[in-house]
Amino acid sequence: MLFNTGMKFGSLAAIIAAMLLCPFILPKFYLYVLTLVLLTGLLATSLNMVIGYGGMYQFHHGVFYGVGAYTAALIMAKTDLPSWIAIIAGPFAAAFTGVVIGLFCIRLTKLYFGMLQISLGSLVWAIAFRWYGFTGGDDGLHGIPIPSFIDGPHGIYYFVLFAVMLSLFCMYFILSSIYGTTLRAIRDNPDRCASIGINVKAHQLIAIIYATFFAGVAGVLFVVLEQSVFPDLLFWVFSLEIFVMCLLGGWFTFAGPMIGAAMIIALRTCASIYTDYWTMILGIVLILIIFYLPEGLLGYALKRIRETRISADSNTEQAGVKG
Amino acid sequence: MNGNAAGCDEEDKTMENAALDLGTLGANCFVGLSRTMILFIVSSGLSFILGVMRVPNIAHGSLYMIGAFAAYSIAELFGGSTVGFWIALALSPVFVGVLSLIAERVMFRRLYQREHLELILFTFALMLIFGDLVKLVWGTDYKSILAPDMLRGSVIVFGSSFPVYNIFLIVVGPLVGVGLWLFTATTKMGKITRAAAVDRDMVDAIGINVDWVFCGAFVIGCILAGLGGALVAPTVSITLGMDHTIIMEAFLIVTIGGLGNIAGAFLGSLIFGFSQAFGVYLMPQFAIVFPYIAVVIILLIKPKGLLKSAS
Amino acid sequence: MRSPGSVIRFSLFSAVVFFLLLICNTREAKAIKIGIVDTYSGPAAVFCKDALKGFELALKEINKEGVLGEKIEFVTRDDKFKVDLGLTMAKELVMREDVDVLVGTMSSGVAMALSQYAKTQKMPFLVWLSKSGRITGEKGHRYVFMTTENTTMVAKAAASALAGKPFKKYWIAGDDYEFGHAIGGALWSHLKKIKPDVELVGESWWKVGEPDLIPYITNIIAADPDVLISCTGGASMHNIMKAAKSTEMTKKLPLWIHGATDYLVIKPLGKEAPEGVLSTVPYLYYYPESPQNKAFVKAFEDAYGSPPSFMAFHGYNTANFIAEAFRKAGSKDKEKFIDALEGLQIETPVGKVEMRACDHQAVLPIIFGVTDVVPQYDFAISINNVILSGDDVMPSCLEIEKARNK
Repeated sequence: MLFNTGMKFGSLAAIIAAMLLCPFILPKFYLYVLTLVLLTGLLATSLNMVIGYGGMYQFHHGVFYGVGAYTAALIMAKTDLPSWIAIIAGPFAAAFTGVVIGLFCIRLTKLYFGMLQISLGSLVWAIAFRWYGFTGGDDGLHGIPIPSFIDGPHGIYYFVLFAVMLSLFCMYFILSSIYGTTLRAIRDNPDRCASIGINVKAHQLIAIIYATFFAGVAGVLFVVLEQSVFPDLLFWVFSLEIFVMCLLGGWFTFAGPMIGAAMIIALRTCASIYTDYWTMILGIVLILIIFYLPEGLLGYALKRIRETRISADSNTEQAGVKG
Repeated sequence: MNGNAAGCDEEDKTMENAALDLGTLGANCFVGLSRTMILFIVSSGLSFILGVMRVPNIAHGSLYMIGAFAAYSIAELFGGSTVGFWIALALSPVFVGVLSLIAERVMFRRLYQREHLELILFTFALMLIFGDLVKLVWGTDYKSILAPDMLRGSVIVFGSSFPVYNIFLIVVGPLVGVGLWLFTATTKMGKITRAAAVDRDMVDAIGINVDWVFCGAFVIGCILAGLGGALVAPTVSITLGMDHTIIMEAFLIVTIGGLGNIAGAFLGSLIFGFSQAFGVYLMPQFAIVFPYIAVVIILLIKPKGLLKSAS
Repeated sequence: MRSPGSVIRFSLFSAVVFFLLLICNTREAKAIKIGIVDTYSGPAAVFCKDALKGFELALKEINKEGVLGEKIEFVTRDDKFKVDLGLTMAKELVMREDVDVLVGTMSSGVAMALSQYAKTQKMPFLVWLSKSGRITGEKGHRYVFMTTENTTMVAKAAASALAGKPFKKYWIAGDDYEFGHAIGGALWSHLKKIKPDVELVGESWWKVGEPDLIPYITNIIAADPDVLISCTGGASMHNIMKAAKSTEMTKKLPLWIHGATDYLVIKPLGKEAPEGVLSTVPYLYYYPESPQNKAFVKAFEDAYGSPPSFMAFHGYNTANFIAEAFRKAGSKDKEKFIDALEGLQIETPVGKVEMRACDHQAVLPIIFGVTDVVPQYDFAISINNVILSGDDVMPSCLEIEKARNK
């Protein structure tokens, strides 16, 4: 273990305390960006469950995000059902879509898995994009009423913060359990796992269900924040952007995707104000990461800590020997 | 749907309607066919790269777009459409080829030892960069070139007016396909790329530099994308965003055709083009959904594609 | 001793927070700031740039005198004709740049979304290019204004002109978004009212900016209607004109498009433009040749080297509406600004134009004409022009109230 439990809890408590105070420190625009970072970080972490921990080529994770968002939005905007139903329905609709698409994709591996998922996911996108009467088509839906128990930007922030924290704890718990360890084993060597009797496909499908469920949660949170939905959430370019967030932060770590999301959104907000070429900047950043930082920011940081630790340990050893 | 004009013989009108419908369907298929050819040229390039390198070139659509914009600039340089178009058709794929060569030699080839996923993300990064590069160089206005004089105007096919240029496309498409097939079947380089697609390590073992094979495959594939762009230029508004639409379609076509299979790309393009034309005829609002449904149905039955894919 | 682990973690976290704060840029609000969200990439960009030119031309004059002792400044953001980007830009303008007035946008889809947002933020939003009638109609509210003509007005003008022609069988086609449906729906309902025996033979809706319209045109011609109503917006204007030309459609099938005779739309086609296309526009730089119009055209040509389109006309008027409203209000307070803008009349190149108080819609005239290629100009112009006044084509205040309260 790199850090002892005391350090972990300490820093975690510090972070949570800082988060709780944010609405009182940050001006409203930055609070809005922070809220967006939190829910996008949740989305990226959910993706990482399948790619980082599961080793699957989940190329179209955005579909589940979008399905969660659209389900919640449609229920809130077009029906008179109470909003908590919309909030619950979103993630379950996303997980259901995950199961359906997952069952098809699971038959294949690696690249085929990814390409098939893009194909199936694009069908969902195409329907949402063209069904003008129902989904608002290219315009999307706007002015969606937020649930009445959430009040103003502060309320939205705390709601999102609470939901994200809860989801992260759940995911961390799942990934630290025996299931998580098995999943990582499958990622590293599926044939070996199969030969000792582990049902590889079942484990992978379960990972997909978890991941898509939490993607759906992120989708619902998006609707709460923006009070809108657009078909772009379902578009494959956005799915690859989430991929980039995981890569940037470090996809073999738990907190990496969250950091990656924060960096990408901060960069995008900053860049969009001063330049029109944000896309090119993202591309250049991605190339730099691939070449110089393939473990991602957090991955790199942890590697450096390990190295410092090892050299520190060997120094003390040597000192001990000498002394 | 077809209204009844007052004072006409009912039966005659029904017969006329039936002929009209068949004619319209025929016209739609014809239109679908010309679109198919563009899709095929672009997808064949994508499939070729996929077969040899096992990497779906996400930047493929961007190279198509660059091909179209380059064709515009070259045509303008040589004084507008008539002579300029043919020069553009020849030079623009070369330009795209050079661009892809630079990208491959400078950056891509350093990644060949890396994780497969990183290669794919690299092509995604290229797509992002190329997209904005086009904006930087050509600005945000749409561009437009006209077909050369000899290919302008329209003819009557199945009772509908049909641009001559689209007929030109229907002729060119199979030519490209045949050319590609001849290349892989008869030339030495072509045979090597086919071998590398099947067993890369073996090719390496008999002393052929696999790096150069990859380079060649990538550049050839991208030239095809550029060619597709140059060919499509007179029929559409050349704008930013062309890359997103075509790459999505090419991906689907390659997936249903079988990753790496050129004949599969042709088959896939036919299915895609026709289902879309059919869609426009039946339910114009959901026209683009038809190809996706066709794709899903095919993949349900044959998840790895219709024809054999490079494993 | 503090271990490197927690230090790293903490510094990483602070780095993120610091980065966020870095883009924090609290500036003292001095001048009157206008935030413009519009499309500056893609096919519609050329129109939005012209609107900005008209806006800047007016501002030059306005800032000589100043408004409330200050100059008017503006910032622009590109929405790329996409609703999600437009909304993000608007949020940044409202929350970070602290603009006094929001202005935009070319896409009616973006305008509708921004209108909803402006309502929640109590920010005045002036729509200068999007035309959907729903913006000031059923979805209208206190915080949104339209300085451009809307689809209800255009539809009424076009319907009355088309009713006079011998067309019975209609086909309606267009872009599948807010604007397309608004104009198609409004035109059809008006036409049915004036001429009940017209028949809708069919409809086609394609995605916004669809580059290849030939398959759709092929089907439409085959169905043999008497006229095609094209509900195409900024992104598809060129595509439809190009497709019409390459299929030689106008020789067999009359076509009506709103805005076809506008200078910016028709100029790129040069002498190759399709003739006989029916069109409606709110402004033509060569007609009518009133002294105000001539002065405006001359000022615009001196500044930019080409004549103004109707987008430039709208940009110009919007600047004047804003300036006059602030002057009348006597303060930067947004609520006072809105009260002052209601019922305000300004001078424009087509005469006095009023911002109607009951629905926040500018009362603009509509010109109905047909394209023709003449030797004096390098591009097709509009001939046989008929002007319908704003009062004739606008829905009544009562109708607006009913629509909003539904």
